[in-house]
Amino acid sequence: MTLDRLDAPAPRLVVRLPDQGWLGGVCAGIAAYLGVSPLFLRLIFIVLASWRLTGVLAYVLVWLIVPLMSDAPDAPGLDAHRRAGLRPQGAAAQAHGPGDWGQLIALALFGSGLVWIVQRSGLGLPTNWFLVGVLASGGLALVWWQADHASAKDLKASDGPFAWLLPLLANWTTALALGVGLLAGASAVVLTAMLLPLGEGAVASRTLAAIGLALVGLAALAAPWLLRVRRALVQAREARIVSDARADMAAHLHDSVLQTLALIQKQAYEPHEVTRLARRQERELRTWLYGTEVPMATLKAALADAAQDIEDDFPVNVEVVVVGDAELTPQLAELVKAAREAMLNAAKHSGAPLVDVYAEADADHVEVFVRDRGRGFDPAAVPEDRLGIDKSIVERMRRHGGTARLRSSAATGTEVTLEMTR
Amino acid sequence: MSENDTALPETTSPGRAPQQRRVVIVDDHAMFRSGVRHDIGPFVTIVAEAEDVPSAVDAITRTLPDVVLLDVHLPGGGGAEVIKQVHATHPDQRFLALSVSDAAEDVIGVIRAGARGYVTKSISAPELVEAVGRVAEGDAVFSPRLAGFVLDAFSGAIDLASIDEDLDRLSPREREVLRLIARGYAYKEVAKELFISIKTVETHVSSVLRKLQLSNRHQLTRWATDRKLV
Repeated sequence: MTLDRLDAPAPRLVVRLPDQGWLGGVCAGIAAYLGVSPLFLRLIFIVLASWRLTGVLAYVLVWLIVPLMSDAPDAPGLDAHRRAGLRPQGAAAQAHGPGDWGQLIALALFGSGLVWIVQRSGLGLPTNWFLVGVLASGGLALVWWQADHASAKDLKASDGPFAWLLPLLANWTTALALGVGLLAGASAVVLTAMLLPLGEGAVASRTLAAIGLALVGLAALAAPWLLRVRRALVQAREARIVSDARADMAAHLHDSVLQTLALIQKQAYEPHEVTRLARRQERELRTWLYGTEVPMATLKAALADAAQDIEDDFPVNVEVVVVGDAELTPQLAELVKAAREAMLNAAKHSGAPLVDVYAEADADHVEVFVRDRGRGFDPAAVPEDRLGIDKSIVERMRRHGGTARLRSSAATGTEVTLEMTR
Repeated sequence: MSENDTALPETTSPGRAPQQRRVVIVDDHAMFRSGVRHDIGPFVTIVAEAEDVPSAVDAITRTLPDVVLLDVHLPGGGGAEVIKQVHATHPDQRFLALSVSDAAEDVIGVIRAGARGYVTKSISAPELVEAVGRVAEGDAVFSPRLAGFVLDAFSGAIDLASIDEDLDRLSPREREVLRLIARGYAYKEVAKELFISIKTVETHVSSVLRKLQLSNRHQLTRWATDRKLV
C-alpha cells in the first residue's frame, strides 16, 4: 500500500467509488472501507461468480444497496478553499494506469477460465440458465454503469437542424452501451420465458410470464435512473439552502466584521481595545469559517469558552490545546473553573502576552496545565486577603477529589497543574 | 510569474550567519507576504516571493533557498502540492508551513507531504526567525498546536494490523517532549525540564516528525477526517 492512498480520507460508511473501480466501484468501495487491496475483493467476487454466478448476484445486490460516494460539506472556508484549488483535491480523480489494464485482463481471463472449468465439470448451472444469467447480468451492468458515469458529461447547447441528434452522437458510447444492455436484458427475458417448465401447450401462460419478466427487467434496469431523479430533487432543495446560506453569510459579515471595523475606527487611539476587538473578531470569524460545531458539554468546549472570556477581558492571547476530550461532568466543570481562575491570574498579574493552556483527557484521568512566561511570584508571600489561588484553585480542586500544583519563579514564569481522576 | 520574484545571486556557504539565510515566502495574500517581509526581512535574506503553486515551484527551484515559508492553502492544490513537485527534483529542499486555518487535516497533510514544521500566522517575529533557523539546520519545528494534533493522532490503542510498530508508536520520551511543547515550553525549557540537552530534544522532535511522515497508522488519516476542528 502506498502512502498516497492512505492520505485520501478513509470513508466511514461503505460507499461505492465508481471513479476508482471498473464496474460500479463496489470492490473499490469495500476495500477502502476495510483498508485492504481492491484486488483481493475482486478475486473473491470472481471465485464466487464462477460457481453458479453467485458472485454476480452478490455484486449486483451490493451495487443496488450501497450508495454512491458523496462529499459531505466542510465548513464554508474549507469548502471555498477546495473549490478555489487551495487544498488537495482528495482521491476522486484517479485514472487507470497501464498496470490496472493488465490487472483487468488477467482477472477477466482468470474468471473466464474458472467459469469454463466449473461449467465443464458439471457442477455449474445448466447451460441455458447460465446463458440467461450472463445476459441479464451483462445487460444490467452496462445500463447501470452508464447511469453512474454518463451524468458527469454536460452538453453544449447548439442550434441547427440536427441539434437534437447531437447528444446521441456526442455520447455514442452511452447510446451503444444502453442499446447493447437493453438487447441483452431482452434476450434474457425471452430465454427465461422459453425455458420455464410450463408444458407444451401453455402459450398464454408463457406470454404472461414473458410480460411479467419484462416488467421486472425494466424496473431493474431503470432503478439507477429513478434514483437519479430523486437525487436531482434533493440537489434542487440543497441549491435553495445554499442560496439561503449566502444571504445568511452576508448578514453574518454585516453583523460581525463590519460592526467590529466600525468599532475599531472609533477606538483607534486605544491600542489595547483595538487589539481586543480584532482578536475577538478573528476568533469568531475563524470558528465560523473553519470550525465545526463543538457540543458545549465537553471539556474542550468549556476550556475554549473560558479562554475566550479571559481574552475578552484582558490584553492577552490564550492558546488552548486539548488532546482527547471528555464529557463535562459537574466534577470536570469545577476543574474548568479552577483552570479559568489560573488563566485569570496569569492574565492579570504575570504581564506575559501569552498564556498556554494544555489539557489531556483519557479514559479515567484529566490533566490541565496553565502556563505563562511572566514575572512569577512567591506563593508563600501572597497576602491573606488575596484568595484567588488558595480558595479558587487549590481548595476547589481538593474539594472535588483533584489536586492542584503551582510552580512559579521569576525566570520561568508560572505554571499551574490541575489533575483529576474521573 | 509575479514581478516580486527578484532573485539574488546565489551564495552557498555552509553554516552561514542568520542574516544570510535565504528564504522564499509563498503565500497568496500580498498583504501577508509584505507583513512577513517587514517582520523578518532584517534578520534573513528574502530571495523570492511567490503566490501560487506554479510560481512557487519555479521560484524555489530557481533560487534553491535554505527555507521556504509555505502557506498551507494556495491556488493550484495547496502547500502540499508545492512540496510534492519541488521534492520530485530537489528532495532536500526544506519547508516550514504557516497557516491561519488550523484545520487539522490540512496541517497533518502538509507535514506528511514533507514540511519540516508548522507554525500559526500569529507567531511573533523573533519566534519565526528562530523557527526558520531551526528548519534551515534540518531540525523540526513544532508549535504547541501541532504537538497537540500529533499527541491526539498517536493516542488510543494501536490496531493489531499495523505494519511497522516502530513507526506507529511514540516512545515515552517523545511523548514527554511533545507534551511539554504542547504546554508551551520552548525547546530550551523542555531540555531543562527533562535534564537533557537541547540537541536531544531536537533529535526527539525530528524522530516524531519522521514517524508522522512515514507511519501509515490508520488512525492518523482516520483521525484527520474524523475531526475537522482545532
